[in-house]
Amino acid sequence: MNFKERILTAMNHEEPDQVPVMGLIMDTATVNHILGKKPVDFVGMLQKPVVGTQIKSLLNTNRFWKRMYYDNFAGALGSAIKLGFDANWTICTLMRLNRDSQASLGWSWYDPYGRVWDLGRDAEGNLAVNYSRPLCDTEEKWEAWVAKRASLFETMIKNTASFHKKLVENYGAHIYSIGYAAPGIFENSWQPIGFVNFTRFIYQKPEFVKRVIAFQTDLYIRNLDAVMQSGVEVVLGGDDLGQKTGPMVRPDVVEKLYGESYRRVSDFVHQKKRKFVFHSCGNIYALLDKFVEWGFDGIITMEPTAGMDLGRVREQVGHKLVLIGNLDVSYLMVSGTQQEVEDAVKKAIGDAARGGGYILSTSHSHPLVDPTRMQWMVEAAHKYGRYPIGN
Amino acid sequence: MPNVALEELKSSFLSLDMEATLRVANTVIRGDDKATVKEAVDVVAQSLEIVGKRFQAGEWYLAELVYAGEIAKEAMNILSPLMQTGSSQSLGTIVIGTVAGDLHDLGKNIVVSYARSAGFRVVDLGVDVLAQRFIGAVKEHKPVALGMSCLLTSTERELAGVIEELKSQKLRDRVKVIIGGAALSEKVAYDVSADAFAPDAITGIDIMKKWSASA
Ligand code: B1M
Repeated sequence: MNFKERILTAMNHEEPDQVPVMGLIMDTATVNHILGKKPVDFVGMLQKPVVGTQIKSLLNTNRFWKRMYYDNFAGALGSAIKLGFDANWTICTLMRLNRDSQASLGWSWYDPYGRVWDLGRDAEGNLAVNYSRPLCDTEEKWEAWVAKRASLFETMIKNTASFHKKLVENYGAHIYSIGYAAPGIFENSWQPIGFVNFTRFIYQKPEFVKRVIAFQTDLYIRNLDAVMQSGVEVVLGGDDLGQKTGPMVRPDVVEKLYGESYRRVSDFVHQKKRKFVFHSCGNIYALLDKFVEWGFDGIITMEPTAGMDLGRVREQVGHKLVLIGNLDVSYLMVSGTQQEVEDAVKKAIGDAARGGGYILSTSHSHPLVDPTRMQWMVEAAHKYGRYPIGN
Repeated sequence: MPNVALEELKSSFLSLDMEATLRVANTVIRGDDKATVKEAVDVVAQSLEIVGKRFQAGEWYLAELVYAGEIAKEAMNILSPLMQTGSSQSLGTIVIGTVAGDLHDLGKNIVVSYARSAGFRVVDLGVDVLAQRFIGAVKEHKPVALGMSCLLTSTERELAGVIEELKSQKLRDRVKVIIGGAALSEKVAYDVSADAFAPDAITGIDIMKKWSASA
């Protein structure tokens, strides 16, 4: 079987020749390590007065932004191919650089939805970009923001379609490039408003919250449509619905606010004859049955640091969901020994791979997830993941 | 006999009815009821504790914990001219922040809000806090506890860095250190020589209350 057949067979809850392995590679530090590239001190350049202004105008040009973002994920796919993965995720976003007196470096990005993303350096000096604060803490600000960003949303959708198509054209012969429509409806509704404000609005302005969610659902479906234009049979979507000890919001409130949206998403993907895999960090046992009910085909992550256990998830959902995960990224994939990585792979395969419906991966990405450990993970999958899986 | 206004204050708070909670708080402030402001403040603090226990037990969820924190904040704004110190007596100062390189702040903000309502004076340094700022704040505010939030494996070393710096500046014996956040555990607390690990805000506040009592 080739990588694509392996993934699709597993997605069908059938047994491929061996357990497929998926990479969640995206951080620049990881890509640089694997491809032997040096970090670029982007932040340092930005802080030089004249160069900074020039970089700003360059980055805010859609052509340059698209190029930079594409190169980053081309690097991620190249890295995943080098390590022997069958698949890797790919994400397209759009941001604009701005001077910002509240940001520690005097610059930040904003995205079309209304979030501020802080600009920083990771431990090796690479550019790091992280959501830091909302821009729309009132109803009025949110309404005004989205009304003004109509053309930016259109640009985002167009970029997304061409980004995924191009990655598949250039890398599709070597790896299964699975597009991820991110962030999802839950995150796009709370993050531009802020979690505390959003929570207050759930209780105090439920009509506004409904309007936000409806808006984000329509937009999200367009975004998914753009991702799916690459022709790939599987699409990722998602939201961090969980935190360390359980869902962020009471499951019946999630159902009331988001149930219809998630059903629409699954229906839309299925109409296009694709499969929908949902990503959520955190402890999400209490939502697993909902995922099945909403029509998701699979889930990816299952964070061990939040108590998610692959065997327990399989027991709870059986083969109603494909499971993709979940090697720990807090210790194991950062500094675990080869024996520990092998043992974890064996255990994951034993817990979830019988009958297909399982793809091995790490439980997340971050710059310290170590390429050597990823390599060990792939090797162990080849060693212990041949079907039929023994007892 | 239980006081009607205080009963109503508690029940509206625990039904997460902000409007009703604030209405009763205003009644107490105006002196329309026999309940004293101190009693009302204590009811809010006790109710918040109940919310915390429900969250710990998995009966209530994060959004409810956050909203209860907001109701308490607004009720205290009305009831306590001293504000920020929710309970009727102050438990001392705590300094808190999310370590350098980490921008996660939901958890830290919850700890801040509940600590204030419990009666601590809180110095919140925000996110992405460099070791030097933690040290400076410890020197300046002489807190009962230093709380560090850290959700990322890549920033765990910051915890050790701050504690080492406390030691080298001879401040370690003067302040207890408590850590919390997704990627942490008791083991990390032990490894970095922190005094405690808090799996959630309520446990953290309970620990700091004990430290405050024995300070
Ligand atoms: C007194 O002192 C005390 C006492 C108690 C204390 C305390 C201090 N601090 C916390 N507590 C305790 O009390 C609080 C209340 O009960 C609790 O606080 P918590 O913070 O745990 O809980 C909050 C109330 C709710 N929980 C949260 O807010 C965190 C939830 C999860 C899903 C999460 C979120 C939401 C986010 N994230 Co991030 N994120 C995850 C999280 C998964 C998880 N298991 O938690 C985690 C933490 N993220 C992770 C990652 C990798 C990342 N994230 C990132 C970004 C983000 C968002 C911006 C999208 C968002 C943060 C929004 C914000 N403003 O905070 C990136 C890093 C950004 C940065 N530099 O900070 C990025 C690196 C992703 C990337 N590759 O870009 C993972 C870390 C893995 C690791 N081992 O390092 C992660 C565990 C998810 C996973 N699947 O593994 C207790 O821990």
